[in-house]
Amino acid sequence: MKQIERGEMVNKAACRIVKVSAAAIAGIVLAGCSQSDEAGRAPSASAQSGRLGFVVRHWFTAMHETKFMDECNQGLNISNDEIWWRGLSKVDRAEKTQNGLLETLRRWQPAVRRGPNGEDVCLDPTAVTDPKFITVNGDVSYGINLDGTTDGRATPKTCAHKKFTGLNGEPAIDNQMYRLVGCTYGWRTNGIFEVNADEMRGTSGIGMILIDVTGVDDTRNDDDVTVSFYRSIDQFAQDSSGKPLPFSSYRIDTNPDGTARYGDSLKGRIENGVLKTQSGDVRLPFYGNYTFSQHIFKDMQLELKIADDGKTADGMVFGYYDVEEFIYHVTGTGVVISTAGFSCPALAAAAWELADGYPDPETGKCTMLSSAFRIDTHAAYVVKPEGVKAAL
Amino acid sequence: MSSRKVRHMITSLQTFARHAGAIAIAGVLLSGCDDGGPKIQGGTPDMRRLTEEQYHHIIEDVFGSSIRVGGRIDPLIRTDGLLALGARSARITPTGFEQYYDLAHSIADQVVNGTNRKELIPCVPAALNAPDDACAQKFFGDVGRFLYRRPLTAAELDTAVLSAHEAAVGLGSFYDGLGMSLAAMLTTPQFLFVSDTIEADPDSKGDVRLTSYAKASRLSFFLWNAAPDEELLAAAESGDLHSRSGLKKQVERMTESSRLQDGVRSFFKDMLEFELFETLEKDPMIYPAYSQALADDAMEQVLRDIVDVLLVREDDYRDLFTTRKTSVTPALARIYQIPATQPDGGWAEYEFPADDIRAGIVTRIGFTALHAHPGRSSPTLRGKALRETLLCQTVPPPPGNIDFTLFNDPNAPVKTARQRLGAHNTVPACTGCHLMTDPIGFGLENFDGIGAFRTTENDTELDVTGTIDGKDFTRPDQLATGIRDNPALASCVVRRLTAYSMGRSLTRDDGKFTRAAQQEFVDNNYNFKKLVRQIALSDALYAVRAPEPVPEPSQTVRTEPAADDRMSHSEESRS
Repeated sequence: MKQIERGEMVNKAACRIVKVSAAAIAGIVLAGCSQSDEAGRAPSASAQSGRLGFVVRHWFTAMHETKFMDECNQGLNISNDEIWWRGLSKVDRAEKTQNGLLETLRRWQPAVRRGPNGEDVCLDPTAVTDPKFITVNGDVSYGINLDGTTDGRATPKTCAHKKFTGLNGEPAIDNQMYRLVGCTYGWRTNGIFEVNADEMRGTSGIGMILIDVTGVDDTRNDDDVTVSFYRSIDQFAQDSSGKPLPFSSYRIDTNPDGTARYGDSLKGRIENGVLKTQSGDVRLPFYGNYTFSQHIFKDMQLELKIADDGKTADGMVFGYYDVEEFIYHVTGTGVVISTAGFSCPALAAAAWELADGYPDPETGKCTMLSSAFRIDTHAAYVVKPEGVKAAL
Repeated sequence: MSSRKVRHMITSLQTFARHAGAIAIAGVLLSGCDDGGPKIQGGTPDMRRLTEEQYHHIIEDVFGSSIRVGGRIDPLIRTDGLLALGARSARITPTGFEQYYDLAHSIADQVVNGTNRKELIPCVPAALNAPDDACAQKFFGDVGRFLYRRPLTAAELDTAVLSAHEAAVGLGSFYDGLGMSLAAMLTTPQFLFVSDTIEADPDSKGDVRLTSYAKASRLSFFLWNAAPDEELLAAAESGDLHSRSGLKKQVERMTESSRLQDGVRSFFKDMLEFELFETLEKDPMIYPAYSQALADDAMEQVLRDIVDVLLVREDDYRDLFTTRKTSVTPALARIYQIPATQPDGGWAEYEFPADDIRAGIVTRIGFTALHAHPGRSSPTLRGKALRETLLCQTVPPPPGNIDFTLFNDPNAPVKTARQRLGAHNTVPACTGCHLMTDPIGFGLENFDGIGAFRTTENDTELDVTGTIDGKDFTRPDQLATGIRDNPALASCVVRRLTAYSMGRSLTRDDGKFTRAAQQEFVDNNYNFKKLVRQIALSDALYAVRAPEPVPEPSQTVRTEPAADDRMSHSEESRS
């Protein structure tokens, strides 16, 4: 316990006995609770007082997909390989693909180097102008109303954009990220781009997000908690079938001076086992498809439903997502681009076009995309060096 | 198997047989001591097969830790609560001998290989492709003394040198010849068996005593679970070990050594039946967090607790059953649902909060997971283990004609172990024994089949109330206190440790010593280290009585105690 942050431990008089279903949850039993309930039983074995912890295992863009792909009535985007292929003469095709024997995955390099001077069109998306990117034209999406308007008109903080309706009829949903990638194979269910990235995080342990909830008096209902986000330096602890083991411990990544390398915090509350944060600016670690990058959010909100047995928590992340960082990540993924079904130049252009948040003060063009992501987490102990405290 | 290997095995077997009948009993008369506690008759001289751990310790001590000792040897049979007592009746089967043979050659090959020979062989042969008897003699004279726990006789040394000579000629290599002879030495009974060699007792006409070398072995295997080191052998050689001051000096030195931890760990691994970890299995569908690594950590955690309480802090032995201080690895922390401060796999100290239900080694995974079924907990197995291993009581096995379908019916309308075991109340043949085990075991039902905390089983709230020898409890830590306060706890460890040190089952006559030792244990505030010292310094540890008739010198003696001489379980429990 020496290295575990003590400052966040709570021991409030209001502390109440944790009931049976919640008692097994890691890190949730409250400091100073009496040792037994009315029946004389122990409330719990051991636990981390006043804290909840989670490690994010799955992170996917929240996609609303209908059975007949109504949301994409123009179909799906064509791939970089296809655009390259279309631009080749028959002779060139034979020459550059060994008479067609070279598979898509193995010809990704010539395919991306299709700029007029051989530029890599992913590293330089402005080198060519590709056919316009196909975006979602459906009306329904996951997400929340981020700009506060009912119609998506421009505000000092946002650019004009179309709104969605939520899956349960919620009005004025903002999710331009979905509008951008919703008709691209790589992002849709089982699409290679997100699945591959997710698998790589699972097996490499790189870019793992830790969620540390402190100031927890009551794990099911607490109106004032602090939620901090860190990067783990430990890999997922998994069972023999590859499933993460709950209640494992993960150390946070720190700078040479001992401060947390990530560590943004949001205030939040827990209502009936659902953790909800207020909005705020958050940077999260991200890795996938061989690329290290970050999730850079403004006005980010987290919503997590904690399972009754406390072993898992699933939910959503909402917020404005940095376009530049998004393009940096997507266009840097190399070989994965060849099979993910998109063209870098077309995607980048569409991303800037659809951006609806935080206009650049000089150009007036928006720099962020409203977004929603699905996450699955597992109960974890977030181990922090002594002295590291939540940013709030 | 190659014909060369067969020939060599035959030679080794012949050597084995020759030496088995040639372990000498010297006839030197020396004076005895009067301050070694109550006098007992002692057991008849015995031979005990080295345990696997002892074998490993000896090889490491003699040749260093770079020598890998792979392979397994035949297991021992638990006798009167201890595997160590099974060593007394252990034989070597032909298959078992082949295991020793392979092991010996593997070790010998490593000792003489190009990497290790420089450090492990004290001389360089005149020629690599020819025998060098002088060098071989020096080597075997040195290592043989540690392997046999005494200097080699001239005949033994000659045999080893001759064997090395002939093999070197045959194989055209000094080192290969030396390795062949070393392998043969490692398969002799002098090495594989710890022998109670005796000599006439100079202080008591007609009686016998252990030779100083046998005494050194008994002391060393008791305290360190290893063969005597140089200093102890020197004390044996000079005869100092037969004097009270000489013995005291060695006991002080050895009990202050960090190697005492090895001995204490070995004793408790034996007493707590930790060999069961080697075959412990859990259903991965039910307990995905269980792995062999977790099992290893669980065992190690208890052993660390034992060393910490008994040797580092020298606390009351009974505190072992209520201590909240422990060490954890990430794998253990996951089950205990506590943070691991060394997630990269290391051990970290941890103290369970004062109001935690986990207290003492009985609530650790090393006990609760070990004594449970592959797919569920077991109040019966836990209660039985607690009574038998910690309180030295005996729970009879179930009668052979019990119909277990009554208890294992998956469609029975029962949710908890308590409900399931309630069926036993309907079968008189079961009730008696289950009354001994289940009321204790119910107290550990907060821990599932791998020791993870729970409050429900099959969505039914658990009732963990129970009773231990008249003391009621409502939580596991209260059960732990009940164990701590149980008078049988201290007497059990005294008797187990005494039997372990002597390598034999206790007899009625030994009660004179164990009762006194138990009283001193109490007077010393249950200080385990002092108990170890007391036994190590006692005359009882080294007491030996002559078999009838008194053997001629140079004869190995091996007898079993008479059946009625052995302390029965019930008598042992009462004492």
